[in-house]
Amino acid sequence: MTNATGDTSAFANAIETDYRNRSATNAMQSAAFVRYARLGLPNRRVEGWKWSDFNAALRGPAAANDAAAPETIPPSPFAALEPLEIQIVDGRVLSPDAAKLDGFEFGVIEPGGSDPDFDGHSLVALNIALTRRAFGYRVEKGANIERPILIRHINTKPGHVFSQVLGRGDEGSRSTIIETFEGRAVFHSAVHHLSVYRNAELSRYVLNDTDAGAVTHGFFGAMVGEGARFRQTSLSTGGRLCRHETHLLYPAAGGFSDVASAALVAGDRHSDFTTQVRFRAPGGEARQLHKGVASGKARNVFQGKFHVERAAQKTDAKMTANALLLSEGAEANHKPELEIYADDVECAHGSTVGALDDDALFYLRQRGLSASAARALLIEAFAGEVVDSIDNEGVRNVFATRVAAWLEDQQ
Amino acid sequence: MLKIDDLHVAVGDAEIIKGLTLEVPAGEVHAIMGPNGSGKSTLSYTVAGRDGYEATAGAVTLEGDNIIDLDPDERAAKGLFLSFQHPMEIPGVQTMNFIRTAMNAQRKARDEEEISAADFIKLVREKAKLVGLDDAKLKRPFNVGFSGGEKKRMEMLQLAMFEPRFAIMDETDSGLDIDALKMVGDVVNALRGPDRGFLVITHYQRLLEYIRPDRVHVLAGGRIVKSGGPSLAAELEKSGYEQFIEAA
Ligand SMILES: Nc1ncnc2c1ncn2[C@@H]1O[C@H](COP(=O)(O)OP(=O)(O)OP(=O)(O)O)[C@@H](O)[C@H]1O
Ligand SMILES: [Mg+2]
Repeated sequence: MTNATGDTSAFANAIETDYRNRSATNAMQSAAFVRYARLGLPNRRVEGWKWSDFNAALRGPAAANDAAAPETIPPSPFAALEPLEIQIVDGRVLSPDAAKLDGFEFGVIEPGGSDPDFDGHSLVALNIALTRRAFGYRVEKGANIERPILIRHINTKPGHVFSQVLGRGDEGSRSTIIETFEGRAVFHSAVHHLSVYRNAELSRYVLNDTDAGAVTHGFFGAMVGEGARFRQTSLSTGGRLCRHETHLLYPAAGGFSDVASAALVAGDRHSDFTTQVRFRAPGGEARQLHKGVASGKARNVFQGKFHVERAAQKTDAKMTANALLLSEGAEANHKPELEIYADDVECAHGSTVGALDDDALFYLRQRGLSASAARALLIEAFAGEVVDSIDNEGVRNVFATRVAAWLEDQQ
Repeated sequence: MLKIDDLHVAVGDAEIIKGLTLEVPAGEVHAIMGPNGSGKSTLSYTVAGRDGYEATAGAVTLEGDNIIDLDPDERAAKGLFLSFQHPMEIPGVQTMNFIRTAMNAQRKARDEEEISAADFIKLVREKAKLVGLDDAKLKRPFNVGFSGGEKKRMEMLQLAMFEPRFAIMDETDSGLDIDALKMVGDVVNALRGPDRGFLVITHYQRLLEYIRPDRVHVLAGGRIVKSGGPSLAAELEKSGYEQFIEAA
């Protein structure tokens, strides 16, 4: 079979077949497919993909499925927060529960189109070409939604899955969105576009808890409006190749964002957190913190970029990335970048890579902690900086429990 | 109680402890004095089981049990406590949580019951008051941003909480104000008893006025070069170590 991409791998064929078999394809989708075919899958020679080669991962042999498909969908660890739960199972948005939430509009909608800023992103192009239905939500103007919105991406079958979430937080609204990535060894491309309008506040929490064989690409792009406040905390235990991108755009003055991520990767798992913040207007503020723990032969990638345009005077942006390597074979790759065209700004980044502190380990053991308990305590403390910064107590507890469970698994 | 017999310790390629013999019988407090770099901290690390401070020859026994092959936490569970000359800061680890975890780890290793949360809080508050640390410090990350003196008080808090069988105090008095010195004396004197022993490393006689030692030893060049009664400390304060450095 000849392919649009000229690529004859099983993955390329499956994608092509999927695309050809679609009953209806609009102009935007076919244009996106052409873009994807021209660009190809991102590989290590492409800027920004050196450490996370999707081309190699997807064209290689598919990972064996390590777990049997669940017969029923297990309850979410966030269930205790009594969220409004939306399930996207194998890319299908299941009709969200009939429950109504005042000030929150949601439903299954037509997928979105391209954003010229990301036209060169082949995985986004592929997602636009192949996503069938999207989940859409809107926090109405001035609404203060206490109940968290939980969006679960649950993958139960091998293959490839595309999903889209399109949201907006209208002027002066306040809301909490939790997004979880769960399930088996599949290729999952998830795109989430969000606009946080003037003076709105939105917190997003991401928990990536997929199987070891999963290949995940999460693309999140948000507009941070005038005086808007966006907070995000992510926790990932990685996968065969797992990358979460966060792209923030400040088109108006006085936006604020605080983006924190923690990766705990063991075995030969791979986690990649890539963030880009583009400041186009004055007085923007951004805080970023990444904490990565890698053991075995795992790899943890963090790439962060602040792009400050000429008009974005008085931008205040700080980025910190700390990696902890627990074994000889583990790797951490950090790439903090500043690209600044305005002259009156305060931008800084710091990056460290290290091992557990022997002095501290000995101290703890002198006080009676076993070697493994001492290590666990220090690792927990390291990741704790991200977890402890979560305002929402219920969410913080779920994250802390996940970290503790991960440490338990390492014993 | 603690018996060290012809101990040799190498750190890296250098032999630091060169045939050290010392016995602290149960119920006694011994002091070690000695010049900078003579091996006092090295000795305490070796006894506590720190990696990289391995005994190349000799024996260390605690209550007749050879402890030299035990892990540091096993030694701690046997009741060995080291008050560090330079206590660690451990970011992200809440002080109270840590002390409770440590206490329960020791108890578990000894097949004792864990301390209840309520009993623990009561105990830690009481002892914190004794050593002069306010409650707010107990909720902070362990030693982070604490002054030198506060860190030493934190060591004394743990000594008072754990009630170890044998405690080595490595320059606990350095950096302490006069009131704190007296507090250290009170903590040690309250624990003193027929089943416990202490090895107090110090540069100054002052602490020994609060903790009257049964014996004073001079460590120089990796060996005990002189031992005597409490008056030896005062003598050293006057004459210095020069005679011993030459002898060692
Ligand atoms: N980890 C190490 N690496 C290299 N040398 C070391 C190490 N630890 C100790 N030493 C050396 O061993 C010698 C003894 O050091 P130690 O800290 O035991 O002295 P001390 O008697 O405690 O001195 P002070 O009174 O200054 O505390 C010193 O020469 C020191 O430099
Ligand atoms: Mg010393």
